[in-house]
Amino acid sequence: MPFLILFLHVVAAIAALALASRSRAVAVFVAAVAPAGAAVWGLVALLDPTTTRSSSFVWVEGLQLGFDFELSPIAALLTLAIGAIGTLIVIYAHGYFAHPEPTLGRFLATLTIFGASMLGLVWADSVWTLFLFWEATSVTSFLLVGHKNANANARIAARRALMITGAGGLVLLAGMMVLIDATGTHRLSEMAPTTGTTATIAAVLLLVAAATKSALVPAHVWLPGAMAAPTPVSAYLHSATMVKAGVILVAVVSPVLGGTDTFRVLSMTLGALTMFWGAIGALRQRDAKLILAWGTVSQLGFLVLLFGIGTAKATFAGVAVLAAHAVFKAGLFMVVGEVDVRTGTRDIDELGGLARSMPITATIAALCGLSMAGVPPLLGFPAKEAAVEAALGLAGTERLIIGGAIIAGSVLTVAYTTHFVLGVFGPSRNGTATTVSPGRAALMVPAAILACISILGWIFDGTTSKPITRAAAALNAKADVYQLINWPGATQAFFVSVAIVIVGAILGAARSRAQLRVPATIGANAADTALDQTLVLARRITARMQHGSLPVYVLTMAFVVAAVSIIFVQPALEAVGDMTVADSPGQLALALATVLAAWGCTQVDSRIGAALALGVVGLAVTGLFVVHGAPDLVLTQLLVETVIVVGFVIGLGRLRRSFPETGARWRQVRAAVAGLCAAGVAAALIAAEGAASSATAPPTERLVAEAVDEGGGNNIVNVILTDVRALDTFGEIVVLAVAALGVVALGRPALVTPKTPISPPTREEVRA
Amino acid sequence: MSLALVIAIAGLVGFGVHLITARSLSRVVLGFALLGHGAVLALLGSGGPAGEPPLADRAPVGELANPLPQALALTAIVISFGLTLFLLALARRQHELTGDDLVEDDLEDRAISALAEAEALRGHHDD
Repeated sequence: MPFLILFLHVVAAIAALALASRSRAVAVFVAAVAPAGAAVWGLVALLDPTTTRSSSFVWVEGLQLGFDFELSPIAALLTLAIGAIGTLIVIYAHGYFAHPEPTLGRFLATLTIFGASMLGLVWADSVWTLFLFWEATSVTSFLLVGHKNANANARIAARRALMITGAGGLVLLAGMMVLIDATGTHRLSEMAPTTGTTATIAAVLLLVAAATKSALVPAHVWLPGAMAAPTPVSAYLHSATMVKAGVILVAVVSPVLGGTDTFRVLSMTLGALTMFWGAIGALRQRDAKLILAWGTVSQLGFLVLLFGIGTAKATFAGVAVLAAHAVFKAGLFMVVGEVDVRTGTRDIDELGGLARSMPITATIAALCGLSMAGVPPLLGFPAKEAAVEAALGLAGTERLIIGGAIIAGSVLTVAYTTHFVLGVFGPSRNGTATTVSPGRAALMVPAAILACISILGWIFDGTTSKPITRAAAALNAKADVYQLINWPGATQAFFVSVAIVIVGAILGAARSRAQLRVPATIGANAADTALDQTLVLARRITARMQHGSLPVYVLTMAFVVAAVSIIFVQPALEAVGDMTVADSPGQLALALATVLAAWGCTQVDSRIGAALALGVVGLAVTGLFVVHGAPDLVLTQLLVETVIVVGFVIGLGRLRRSFPETGARWRQVRAAVAGLCAAGVAAALIAAEGAASSATAPPTERLVAEAVDEGGGNNIVNVILTDVRALDTFGEIVVLAVAALGVVALGRPALVTPKTPISPPTREEVRA
Repeated sequence: MSLALVIAIAGLVGFGVHLITARSLSRVVLGFALLGHGAVLALLGSGGPAGEPPLADRAPVGELANPLPQALALTAIVISFGLTLFLLALARRQHELTGDDLVEDDLEDRAISALAEAEALRGHHDD
């Protein structure tokens, strides 16, 4: 089934891409079918929790390569959320984009593939599968954030998001490998709780990865920038999907690593800091969408804090807030998108009178906002109650610190919610009413559905509670006693909640009246600068290493070869005493002649002279073949040498007589490296000879016997070439044929002869 | 392998390296030819000491030179022959196009380094 749904998404993406230009409605319908299918499967799994749903595709046996999916209770819950909200987002996008929208096909396709990546991520049971889909969400979200690719801000924001989440992906891979080392399995469902140094390292790495994905301080800088994306993207990525990936990671590994102090302390610290900084950020903004973005940062910190606490109640509260947040945050983003489309602005200072001109939207915003603030009769209330109870249920200093953090964070949440709702739908600063264009059903209906879910979730608290309890119990077995309660009565937590709402509302109302400036961005520019500086550094290193001069490249390589052969010097000095000076006097004389002629090659100034010197080298080498007892080589070498000397005369006949001058210093460097190379090669050969002397004698007897008996020839070299190495010889013929073709092609006169010589561009040209 | 062969090979490699790092393409061709000779000799020498030609009916088996490296060296000779001729043709074409047979710097690489230099200059101006 998982594979079928993923396949459905891929097909839907391709179909939407192909159909969008022909029939918009069909494309939207096709793109909505895939996530709807996922939602149905998630719902079926939630209704029938007794069946285990897992499937695997093994690619390489024994290497753990392949896909492993398992629909755990929390995965089922998230599948429903991702699928259902995905379907609503596609419908919403239909209303959001103005009618002739050439990029709609690309948008729908990318969104569908992103949804598939997200589903794969929550289903993943193998860490490798998890990593693969984690990276897929990074790449597809990059494409979605940068969807308006003509907009420079969108491109910068997309790059920032990709760099931060991509770096986090690498950390995730490292963390997962350490985790495998600590637990001994790559299946997440089979991992046993572990502690110790390895577990601590894994905890730190995985939390860093989660922080980049879920926009925890200080990696949160990419999220507000990602608001450059079209609003349907923001509504999808920042409610139920992308940013939840880090939270899900923390939730999934918390049973395994929750025993290490580092995991608890670090996740709670990151969570609490992010909750505060996000809420403060939200209160500083006056762009409605940015208020929500910073609010999302705050909520993500809240979730990580809850999962970091690790008690059963906190885990239960975490799952509940996770679900409630997906519903209300998607709804709120949709509202902002509708306001943006219908009024042309998102600045809360310019918006006025919307409560009267857009009553339905205002109601939806109020309902979703109240759910975010944790006010009945909405789903956010029992979730927030559970969180407060979890905080109050702790003991000692923890109760004081965490309880204080959660209560203070909740106050700020209510404050920025009030700031948002009053800012967008309250009167404008100068009291004028904003002009509003007519509403579109496709924009309103999805948001209305989400608002209704928030209400129904509260009313039928027993039904809503079941999957959440089951999901929490899968993470922490003790959580199965808890459930959502829509009206708790006069408990301690209830009074705390009432106080939170009152203080928060007063704070928020005061804030939305206060004079606001467009706030300075903190951190985002630093991230961009760091990125740019890295690129500059990379170019400088490239300029140094890859300067473009072939001779210097070759010389560098030769120097490295010479330097490496230092290891042969010691064994060579030991072996050199045992070596024969020469097999015969003739060999010594010919060897010296070879070296002398080769030296002549480098010294002769005229080209023809050099060619002749090369001929002499060839003859001397031929002589060496003769004394070695290799008549076949002698014949071949003589033939080849003749052709090469002729080739030199033909090929270089038209060139200037002598070689161009080169600088004295460069010549000295070359000579030094060449000398080192020669010494290195000599040392390596002598060392090899010393090492080989103990080895067995060459198998000449066998070769002779087989050549005569089986090959039927007395010339053993020829028999080897034709019988044993027939295929090699064939390859050799092919190489020669190709070289000959090249020579013929290059030898023909050039069709176009440039009048001026080709020269490298000057610095001015490059700069221009 | 005798010391005489070692000297010959080391000499061929040394002068070969010196030549292939030259700017003139025809010198590079010479260098490749020398390196080719060195490689063939190394192959031959690594198979054992000199001996009688490996012809089964001319000498007793014990006195024959090892035939295996000879068979390998034959291929090496022919391939380096092909390479040398191809490089010669390249040098000739280079001469035809530019009036000389010099190895030019890679234009793309030079463009990258010019970019880095320009950035460094801009950075100084900003300061």
